Order: sequence, then structure tokens, then C-alpha cells
Amino acid sequence: MSQIFGWTGKILRVDLSTGKTSIDDTMKYKDFIGGEGIGYKILWDEVPAGTHPYDPANKLILGAGPLCGSGVPCSGRTTIVSLLPTSPFHGPGSSHMGGYFSVEMKYAGWDAIVLEGKAPKPVWIRIEDNKVKIEDARWMWGKGIFDTMAMISSQMGKEAQVAAIGPAGENQLNMAVIRTGTSHSAGGHGGILGAKNVKAVAVKGTGSVKIAAEKAKVQELDKFMMSIIGANNQMVVPSHPQPWAEFNSPGSRWTGRPGLFWGAANPPVETGVCDPKDMQSVGFRTQKAVFDLGAGAEKYTVRMGGCAHCPIRCHSQLKVPQLEKYGMDPYVSNTCVGWSGPRGVMAAGGGIKEFDGNGADSSVVGNGIGTTMVDDLGVWCNYGQIGRDVKWFHEKGVFKRVLPAEEYASIPWDLLLKGDPRFLIDFYDRVAHKKGELWHIADGSAWIAQRWGLGDDYWDHKDNKLWTRGGYPVHHSNESAGQVGALISCFTNRDAQNHTHQNFIGSQLPIAIQKEIAGEIFGSPDALDPPQNYTRMNEFKARFVKWALVRGRLHDSLTLCNWMWPMAVSPLKERKYRGDTSLEAQFFSAVTGVTKTEAELDKDAERVVTLFRALTVRAMGTVDMRGKHDAMNKWIYTPDKKDGKEIPQFTKGTIQMEKDDLDKGLGMVYKQFGWDEKTGAPTKAGLEAIGLKDVADELGSKGLLPA
Amino acid sequence: MSESKEKEEGLLGSTSSRRDFLRIAGTGIAGAFVTLTLGCATMVRTQDGKNLKVWATPSGAMVQDPNLCVGCRRCESACTIRNDGKASAYVARVKVSRNLNYGVEGVSSAYALANGQHGNFRIVAETCRQCGQPKCGDACPAVAIKVDKKTGARVVDSRRCVGCGACQDACPWHIATLDPETRISTKCSLCDGDPTCAKACPTGSIKFYTWEEAEKLLWGADATSGASAVSGATA
Repeated sequence: MSQIFGWTGKILRVDLSTGKTSIDDTMKYKDFIGGEGIGYKILWDEVPAGTHPYDPANKLILGAGPLCGSGVPCSGRTTIVSLLPTSPFHGPGSSHMGGYFSVEMKYAGWDAIVLEGKAPKPVWIRIEDNKVKIEDARWMWGKGIFDTMAMISSQMGKEAQVAAIGPAGENQLNMAVIRTGTSHSAGGHGGILGAKNVKAVAVKGTGSVKIAAEKAKVQELDKFMMSIIGANNQMVVPSHPQPWAEFNSPGSRWTGRPGLFWGAANPPVETGVCDPKDMQSVGFRTQKAVFDLGAGAEKYTVRMGGCAHCPIRCHSQLKVPQLEKYGMDPYVSNTCVGWSGPRGVMAAGGGIKEFDGNGADSSVVGNGIGTTMVDDLGVWCNYGQIGRDVKWFHEKGVFKRVLPAEEYASIPWDLLLKGDPRFLIDFYDRVAHKKGELWHIADGSAWIAQRWGLGDDYWDHKDNKLWTRGGYPVHHSNESAGQVGALISCFTNRDAQNHTHQNFIGSQLPIAIQKEIAGEIFGSPDALDPPQNYTRMNEFKARFVKWALVRGRLHDSLTLCNWMWPMAVSPLKERKYRGDTSLEAQFFSAVTGVTKTEAELDKDAERVVTLFRALTVRAMGTVDMRGKHDAMNKWIYTPDKKDGKEIPQFTKGTIQMEKDDLDKGLGMVYKQFGWDEKTGAPTKAGLEAIGLKDVADELGSKGLLPA
Repeated sequence: MSESKEKEEGLLGSTSSRRDFLRIAGTGIAGAFVTLTLGCATMVRTQDGKNLKVWATPSGAMVQDPNLCVGCRRCESACTIRNDGKASAYVARVKVSRNLNYGVEGVSSAYALANGQHGNFRIVAETCRQCGQPKCGDACPAVAIKVDKKTGARVVDSRRCVGCGACQDACPWHIATLDPETRISTKCSLCDGDPTCAKACPTGSIKFYTWEEAEKLLWGADATSGASAVSGATA
């Protein structure tokens, strides 16, 4: 075998039923890039349609791509692929975590780990380079994730990186996470590890990722990348006026500025001017604690954390001494929905209010309580849905109707309504340990709607934010570039987790500049509308949607962070704020030695998108994707009202969509991918053209190709 | 004056080296005489008959500030890309990964309050101290660890390294690391005076300091990095 660069060349397969391990060849999957692409190919080939996610016949793939571990900026992601328990038809899906796990996995010599079957008793998997051992986990079953990681690291060595589940995963909660590091959670697949009796996978690697190009080449690419990278979500404009900046925007995550500190560092560290040309201040740009938790979080900030090989640190790491009063460790870390997910549960009472003498710091303390609970127990929020559901079920009397009276009376609703976040301690204990009836809230919206008899009012209520009857919510949907975000959200079986478009339109650059850049990428500035001032669907928006979907799968396959990549924009005035959308292909070519243009690499990722679509068709047993899968809930295209009057769509100030326009948009996106414009299913010709003839053959034999 | 004599005098002109030399020799150096000049060091014989290697003073060392480090490990990958043409954590000359989760000390029952990402978030990296009297170099049976003429760094001559791992065992901090893929030892070379790790650091946490500055940062009660000195280890 000739030398392989980028990839390690090996996939580890662990048959939990027999305890046997084997080695698979990565390169047979090279057409699917890595990470997510490999995962979907394995699902297609090896997990039959109709398999229950918790059945031993389901498989779970922890995947990394060829750029993971190579040192390319923002390449520390792990993509997990399996069937999704929250999906009403148990469709395929991916969950993702940052941290350091996949990099360690690559250094141990593995591009992916495939977990198959079911262990007869609780186990954890010990991987030290090419030595793999299935260990007894009975003594740590039932433990929280933090202690589990410590127990494993005490056996394997402090340098081990661990991916583990908590009680939520063990109890096969549909809404459970697999977590690594201190605060990196992959939502939706924790229950599958639980069903396989796998408490954790731990890995230690002394090897390397080989790089094909001369070191000067990758060093030059790194230098260029570092010159055009922005803050978190590729926001390239600072939140406050800066001497170097032409623009500023208060909504920016580039919060670093003179006078803003990591206040709990010793001594406190000033984030400072953060000139984009100063490579030694890139890590100060994103003071995420004040962005996520408000100005009051500054004094609690020890530092910013994040993932391997990423200079943009988006996880706030706080010391909140008040947490000790609640039996919790004072050190707490998270980002974005890791904070707002549990915080959202408090929404029924109007959010966290002053409690227990914590005064003005109540919000920070309450956020700490919430995130500590979910991170230790391993509960997923379904991208914030759990909070919206609690509010709806409480206000509409659903809880009162479906919970046994004794159980209902035992729940401390008074805490919820007072805004006292100690409610979360009780709530998450019930949920993670499957107590009573309440825990079914973590079945996911599609299942809970069936179980608790929820009707159209649940699905169609705007504030519930549910995108389709698939039971997942918005995630940068119609609020993000209108039809572009809206349509992206249709091509998934969980929240879209697509930031390709968001990292572009959220850059905080003036809309005129954004439209110019959109014109260069998609053929017309009409691809992008100003915020809350949308126009009707057009061809260029469809191209934007395709690009976003393709790059999302590309990043999750390479594996790069889709919360930073692609680099469509930059903070540099001298570049007219242009980034470089070919950087993924340049890094791919340099690291792997397999030379690909931007278009060629996008084609590979398009194959992954199409394979995912085919998996969904096969799982649902119908070609009617338009009617059965992509159909959006009614609130999305219902006009808002002001003073009793409808605000017409496509007028300034509303983000509501129009049904005919969305239907037209779906067809245009189908066409972009070469799928059937009527049904939205991949066609025989389309599948064959993109190198998926075997997929076409199988779908054909099952009658799942459009006429 | 012979070259070796000149070297010896140069060495003894350095406060730190002289102090250590005196301590190690156990007696005064009067009467010590040069017996051999090696690529790495000068071999001298002391008054009481001990053979000693005396090393040229390094220009300085890399030191990390745990208060600024964000644990991104860009230093590690940049280091190995420059020095090995591949990305790795294990053979990186700056050691962040191994201390990332639970600090230098490792897991304890008090892990949630101790150093590391699972504790107080403090990330203590270990760097090569370019010791005045480097145990790695003293332990090398192949005389493969030498002084770089430009920087004074203790560097591995890969042509001479026999891959025995004696340097790794001898270093009190286990900084020198045998690359399992090449069976050649790796350690910090100060990158010819332009340290790659420092350039890759997004917070300026890791920097080059003159040897006198580095000594203050790395040893003693005021040390800010690299954990406290290991018992018996000397600069």
C-alpha cells in the first residue's frame, strides 16, 4: 500500500456482541471523504431499512476526516453518524462534538470507530494506539459523565480523551448526548451507546497525521487562513469601535476590546484591541461569556476554551463559587445552546429571576446550575426545544392532563414560576432517570405529540419553532436569509446544524458588501436579501441553499468546524472583506496529496448530501419527500399580524414565508441537485451521475425511484 | 588559548552555569582540567577525580503562561509540522495535550478543583528548559544531544540517535520524547532562534525568554509555569 496522507487509512470496527475487533480500510470510502460521509456509506451498506435505533443491528460511527488532526485551523470536530431515535421514522442523522476526541483518535491511528452489535454487559472501550480492549464498565454505570471521565483517565492515563454517556444515555433517552471534554456534546445519539451497553470510548494516541505537501506549503496556507479568519461564526466586524476597524456591529461575537476582561483569570486578562493582523490576539477576539450570558459574566470568566487546533475559542470557562452551595463544582463551561438549552426550560416562568440571595448574579449562577445538570447527566435539549415544550405543556395544561395527579403535585412548579433555577435540579433528575411520565418530554417532539395527543396547534404555534413534523426545530432557518435558511432546514432529520450560510450572512458586514460577495459566489447579488426585508424565491437563492448544504456535509466529512468554515468573508479591508471559498480544497490537496479543485471537492460532498437523501427515502419508504418529509409547518408561511391586520410577506419587517414561494423554492433546490422536481427524491440518472449506481439499483429494486 | 579552554571559560562566565558546575562538582573547580571536547559539551575532570560534561549556556528557553493558554494545541501541531513534517501531539516539543484535562499532576479525587479542563481550567504546558546541565544529554550514550551553535539549545542529532530512550527517561519532565514512528528522539531545538510554537499561539501564551528570565519563570517559589521543579532537578 502506498503511503497515505491525511487519513490514517484504518477504521476500527468493534463487534460488541462477540467482543471481536477488526480493521477496515478507509480508502475504500474515499469517495465519501471521511467523517459524516463514511458514516452514511456504512449505514447504507450495513444497516437495513426499518432497523430500530436501539436494536443491536444499528451501528454507530464516530468519525473524523482527513483534515482532522492535521493542524488545519478549526479541525477538531468529531462527527457521529447513526439512526436518530428522535426521528419519527428513525431516519439517518449526524451529531457533532468539538473538543479533542477525534484528533486523539487520528493520532491513535483511526479515521473512524464503528460500534456494532450490543455488549452483554456494560463496557467501555480502551484504545491505545493499535491496542483495543473492551473493559468492564459495570462499576461506573450510573455515574455522571464528569466522574466517568475521571475514572477512565485514572486507569488509562491523564492524556486519554474520552467520549461518554451519562444516565440519560444509559437509560436510552431519545434526547441524550455523547459528550467529550468538559463541554462538548453531540446531541441525539447518547441513547444508542446506552442500548449497546457502551458507557464510554476512550483513546490515547502517540502517532501522527502525515502531511503530503512540503511543510512550507501548509505553513503558508495556515498563515493565510489566520489572516482571513474572523471571530466565532466567522464574524469579521468587531462589536465595538476599534482603531483598526472600518465597521462595528453590536450583534457581533467579535466582542474582544479594550476594557473587556477574562475577569476571573489571575491576574485578569484584557481581551484588548485584537487587531486582525496580530496573530497573538486571535484567541481573545471572542469573549463569549458576555455574549451568551450578559455583561455580568465578565467577572466570572477564567478563560475561553474550545477545540483542538482552533484559534477561535468559543466555550466560556467560568468560576462561579456560588455553585458550591448547590453541591456543584464552581468551574463550569459551555457555549451557545449549551447554556440556553437548560436556561430555556425556565421560560415558562419568564426566565431565571433573582433567587436564593444571589442577587444580580442569579442569571450566571442559574445558567451554571442548568449546564452542570445536563452535562453530567447527558441530556440533550433538541436545540432548545425542551424549553419551548415545557412552556407550552405547562401553559396549555398538557402536563396537568397527562401526568398522574400524584406526580404532577410532586413537581416543584412554584420554583419554575418564580424563576428559581433550582427547578432544573429536580427536572433533569426526573428526565434523565426516566421517572414517572414527565421524562417522555425527552422522547422528542414527534413521539411526544403521539403519546400525549398533541394536535396541529402544537405544531403550528409560531413560538414552538418546530420546523417539520419530523419533530425538530429551527436552527438558522427563515430568520437567516429568508428562503435560504428556510429551505436548508428541510433537508435534515434533526435541527439543520448548518452554519454555512450563517457564517456568511452573520458576518456583520454591511449588507451591500455581503450582496456583492454573494453575487460573486452565486451569480447574482439577488441570492441574498437584507435581513427582514425579503424578496421572492429565485435561482440564485437555490444555488445558495445547495452551496450551504454541500459545504455543511463537506465540513462534517473533512472534519472542519461548520461553526467557522467556510471562509467566504474576511476582516481585511484591503481584501475588500473577501475571504477564500477554495481554502478547504487547498488544505485538502496539501494535506492528503490528492489534488482537488474547489468544484471537485464540492462534488464529493454533494455525493454525501445525495446519499443522505437516499437514506432518508429508504428509511421513510416513499419517494414523496416533498409531501412527507420536506413539508414545513404552517406557522412558517402564516403572515404575522399587527393591530389585527396581516403583514404581507415580502414586506419590510416580517420574516414570514409564503407557501407557494417555498414550494417553488423546494423544486428549485431539487433541480440544483438533479433530483426529481416533483417529489424531491434522487433519480436513477442523478444517482448514477454522481457515482451512486449501487444506491440507484437498491432504491430501484424497492420501488423507491421517482417515475 | 585552545578552543576548549576558551569554551570552558565562556561557560564559567555564566552565573547559572558556574553555580551548577560548582554544585555538581562537589568541590571547587580549581585544578579541574579539560580532558576531552565533544560535540555536545566539554569533558572536564575535577580535583577529586570525577569526570563531568560541562555544557555551553543556552540562549534561553520557551515558557508558557498558564493564565493565557487556551488549550488549542496549535503550538503542538505547528511544532511537529515544522520539525517532523507531520502533525502530532505526542512528539511535540511543547507538551500541552498530556496536561490538558487533569494538569501535570493527573487525576485525583479533587479533580474538579485541580488544574486542567476538568478542573479549574488552568492549562499548564511543559516546555524544554534547555537545562544548564541537561540530564537528557548527560544520559545519552551516543552523544547525540548537542549544543546548537546559534541558539545554545540542546538538540538531537538524528544521525547519531540510536533510539534508546535514555534521554526521555533521564529528563525529570520527560520532555525529550522518542518518536514511536521513527525511533528517533525529539526535543525542543528553539527552531533556529525563531520558535514556531510562539508564532502559532493565538494568545501569546508561549514565548521565548532569555535563560536568566526563563530560570525565574520555571524554578522556585515564583515559578509561573511548568509546575514546580521536580525534586533533584537542576537548571
